[in-house]
Amino acid sequence: MLTNKQAIEQLEALAADQSLLTEKPLSQGRLAMKRFRGRKSGMIGLAIVMFLVLVAIFAPLIAPYDPDDVLIGEVDNITRRAPPCIHVLGCDPELPQHILGTDGNTRDQFSRIVYGSRVSLTLGLFTVTLALVVGTSLGAVAGYTGGWLDNVIMRIMDVVLGFPSLLLAITIVSVFGPGLRNALIAIAVVSIPAYARVMRAQVLAIKETDYVSAARALGAAPRQILLRRVIPNAMTPLVVLATLGIATAILEAAGLSFLGLGAQPPLAEWGSMLASERNQVFTSPHLVFFPGLAIMITVLGFNLIGDGLRDALDPTLNR
Amino acid sequence: MTAGQCRLDWFPPSDVFWRETKLRNLLRLLGVLLALSMVAAACGSDSDDTATTDDESTTTTEAAPDDTEPAEETTTTAAAEPDPGYEGVSLTGACEGDQKIESISAVDEFTVEFGLCNTDPAFLAKLAFLVHGIQPAEHLEATGGAPLREPVGTGPYSLVEWVAGDSVVYARNDDYYGTVAPHETAVLRWATEGAQRLIELQSGQVHGITFPSTDDYPVIEDDPELTLIPKPEANILYFGMTNTFPPFDNVDVRKAVAVGIDRQRIVDQFFPDGSEPASHFTPCTVENGCEGESWYDFDPEAAKQLLADAGFADGFETTIYYRDVFRGYLPEPGAVAVDLQDQLADIGITASIEVMESGAFIEESQAGNLEGIHMLGWTGDYPHVTNFLDGHFSEQIEQFGDQDPSYTTPLAEASKTTDTAAAGVLYAEANTAIKEFVPMVPVLHSSTAFAYGANVDGAYAPPWGQVLFNLMDNGEDTFVFMQGNEPISLYCADESDGESLRACAQVVEGLYGYAPDGTPIPQLATECAEDEAGTTWTCNLRTGVKFHDGSDLDANDVVASFSAGLDAADPLHVGNTGAWTYYDYLWGGLLNAEG
Repeated sequence: MLTNKQAIEQLEALAADQSLLTEKPLSQGRLAMKRFRGRKSGMIGLAIVMFLVLVAIFAPLIAPYDPDDVLIGEVDNITRRAPPCIHVLGCDPELPQHILGTDGNTRDQFSRIVYGSRVSLTLGLFTVTLALVVGTSLGAVAGYTGGWLDNVIMRIMDVVLGFPSLLLAITIVSVFGPGLRNALIAIAVVSIPAYARVMRAQVLAIKETDYVSAARALGAAPRQILLRRVIPNAMTPLVVLATLGIATAILEAAGLSFLGLGAQPPLAEWGSMLASERNQVFTSPHLVFFPGLAIMITVLGFNLIGDGLRDALDPTLNR
Repeated sequence: MTAGQCRLDWFPPSDVFWRETKLRNLLRLLGVLLALSMVAAACGSDSDDTATTDDESTTTTEAAPDDTEPAEETTTTAAAEPDPGYEGVSLTGACEGDQKIESISAVDEFTVEFGLCNTDPAFLAKLAFLVHGIQPAEHLEATGGAPLREPVGTGPYSLVEWVAGDSVVYARNDDYYGTVAPHETAVLRWATEGAQRLIELQSGQVHGITFPSTDDYPVIEDDPELTLIPKPEANILYFGMTNTFPPFDNVDVRKAVAVGIDRQRIVDQFFPDGSEPASHFTPCTVENGCEGESWYDFDPEAAKQLLADAGFADGFETTIYYRDVFRGYLPEPGAVAVDLQDQLADIGITASIEVMESGAFIEESQAGNLEGIHMLGWTGDYPHVTNFLDGHFSEQIEQFGDQDPSYTTPLAEASKTTDTAAAGVLYAEANTAIKEFVPMVPVLHSSTAFAYGANVDGAYAPPWGQVLFNLMDNGEDTFVFMQGNEPISLYCADESDGESLRACAQVVEGLYGYAPDGTPIPQLATECAEDEAGTTWTCNLRTGVKFHDGSDLDANDVVASFSAGLDAADPLHVGNTGAWTYYDYLWGGLLNAEG
C-alpha cells in the first residue's frame, strides 16, 4: 500500500516523463491545421492568396508607374495599346518598357493590374466580412430564439435567396447608383442569406448539446450562452463558406464593374479594365487577357483554400 | 372566307370505336364533343375576324376616292376655298413664336403648296430630311397615326417583317421609279459591339457594317476581302460648360479650359485619320460654317495664368459627365474622358468622372443641370449652318446656361437671311462672339467609316442622308447590312436616331432627299420652287408613283403625312413617344399646340 508521499512522487515522475506529453491528443485547431497542410491543393491556394496579398501591400514598390497616370507626353515613343515590351527579351530599346503593354489611355497595364489586386482583395474581404457579420447574427438569433422571430427572419432570407444573386445585385446598384461602394453593399446583401441559413442550422444543433444545457443549468444568460458557447462552436462551416464567398464576391464585383455598375473610371479594377477594352479583343488581346487572367488566378486561389479548409475542418475525414 | 379551314371529315365514326367499354365510350364522346366545340369556336371567331377586316378595307377604299376627287376639282378653282376633302386635316398655323410654317395645302392632285411665316434659307434642306417621309393617308388613318412597325412607302423596298430583337427584312419593290434593287431581299441586322460587327463581316454573314472600331481600321484595310469606305460626315465633339454653376460662371475659367486642352492630342490618340481639331463649331464643309475667328491654340501656361487671374491659382474640383455610347464623333467616350481628366489635371483642375445613363445624360445636359463639363457632340442632319448653330446657341437653349446676346442676336437674324453672303457676315460675328464667350469648347470634327465586303459593287457611305441598299450589289439574292442598334420604331416622323432612320429610309421617301454631297435632290417631288417673296413654296409631285400597298401617291398623302407630324391638333398626331423632336425643332414648334 502506497503512502500519500509515494503517490505524489509517482505522479511527479509521470509528469516528468516527456514521452507522455507527445501522445497528448492534438487540439481541434491544430488537428485541422495539420490536415490542411497535408492537402496540396489547399496549400497551393494559400500560396496564391499570400502572393496576391503581398502584391497588394507592396503595389507601389512593384508597379513601375502610377496606375492612373496617362503617360503620353511624359514618356518618349509611347503609343496607346502598345503590345508588351520587355527589353531583356529583345524588345527595341528605343521603345519604353511595359511588361504588359499600355492601355487605351497610354497607362501602364502592368501597374494597373498590380494596383487592381488592392481593389479586388479589399472588396472581397469587406464584402464577406459585412455579409458574415450580418448573416451570422441574423442566423444565430433566429436559430436560438426560434418562434415568430425565426420565421420572420428566415422568410426574409428566403425572399432574398429567391432572386439570382447577380441580378439582384444589379438591381440594387441600379437603384442606388453605380459605384464601387454600392456594388460592395449590393454583393454583401445578396450573400447574407447563405450565412444566415448555415448559422441557423448550426445553432439549432448546438443548442441541444449537453454543454449548452449545462451552461443553462448553471444560470448563464442566453446572450452569454450564444456568444460564448454556441457561436464559437458553430463557426467551422462558416469559415469555409466565407473563404469561398470571397471568390464569389470578387467575381461578382468584376462582373458589375464590367457592366459599368461597379468601379468607375479611372480606378484600376480588373472588371472595368476588361470592359473598356472589350472591343479590342482581336487587335490588342493583351489588354483583355491579363485582367481576365488576374481575376481567374485570384478566384482560383480562394476556391482552392476553401476546398482545403472544408476537408481539413470536417471531423469525419480524420485519418 | 374559306370553308376548307373548318372541314371535320377527318373524324369517321369507326366500328372499333363503338366496341369499347361503356365508360371509355362515354369519356371519348365527351372528349370528341369538347374538341368539336373548340374547333367550332375557333372557326367561328376566324370568320368573324375576316368579316371585320373586310369591312374595314372596303370602307377605306371607298373613302379614298372621296378624298381625291374634290382635290382634282380644285385644280381649276381657287385654292383658297376650303376643300371638303381635307376635313380633319386643318394644316394652318398662326405663325406664333418661332414657327416657320403657316400652311400646307394640296392645290391639286399633284401639287402641294407650303406657306412660310418667314423666308427660310434652309427650307429645301430641311424638307429633304427623312422625318418628312410620305405615307398613304389611308394607312396613317388605319394605324391610328402610329404605323410603328408597318410603314408603307414608295421606296426601293417594301417591309416584309420586323423580327423584334433580330432583324428587319425587306423585299425589293419591282415597280420602283428609281434604281431597282439587284437583290430580291435586303436584311438589316444589328450588334452593339464594333468587334462583333466586324466578325460578322469577316465571316461573310453580313455584307456591310456601320462604324467599325477605330483600332480595326488597319485590320480592314489589310484584308483583301474587305473594303473600308470613309464616311466624311459633318459632326462636332464639344466639351460643354454650364455657366450657371460656379466656377464656370467666370468667363476666364471657361477660357482657361479652352486654351488648356490639347485638342490635337485627343485627335491623334483616339480618332481615325481625317479627323481634325475644330476651328469652329460648324465643319467647314457646310456653307458659311467657318466664318469668323478660328478657335484658340493650345497654351497651358496661358491657361494657368487665366485661372490664377480668376482666383483659382490652386485650381478647383469639378466633374466630367458623359454617356458610354458610341457615336461617330466619339467612338471611345471612356478613353477621351480619362484623357480630358489628365489634361485638366495638368492645368490644376481636379476632375472626377461620372458615367451617366444615356437618356438621363441627354435630358440633364439639355436642361443645363450638369454642373461640370459634359462631353457631347452633334452630327449634322442636313447641310445647313442653322442645323449646327441654332440648336445649340439660340436664346432659349439651356444646355450651356445663359446664352449671350452677342451671338444669339446675329444667329436669329441670319436664320432668316436668304442671301448667303449677307448671312456669312452674321455667322462670322456669331462665331467670333462664341469664341469670346466660350459656352463650350469645340474639340474636333471626326472622320468615320463603314466597311463592306470587297465583292459589294457600289459600296458607299454617304456623308448626308441614309445609305440605301438598292444602290449596292453583292451578287447574291440577299443583301445583309449590320448597324449598331435595333430601330426604335419604323415610323421615323417621330424618331430621331440614326438607327431608326436608316431602317426607314429603305421603305419611305420624302419629297426631297440628299445627294451624297448634301445637296437636296427631288425624290417624290419633281421640283419645289419658291415665289418672289420666298415665303411660298410650290411642289409638283412625281406622277404615277404607287405606294407599296398599291395606292397612288397624291397631294393628300403629302398633306396628311406632314399634318400627322406637324399639327398637334390632328387626331393622327400620335406617333411613337409623341415627342416629334424634329418637327418641333425644324419648324420652330408644332402648330396648334395649345388646342
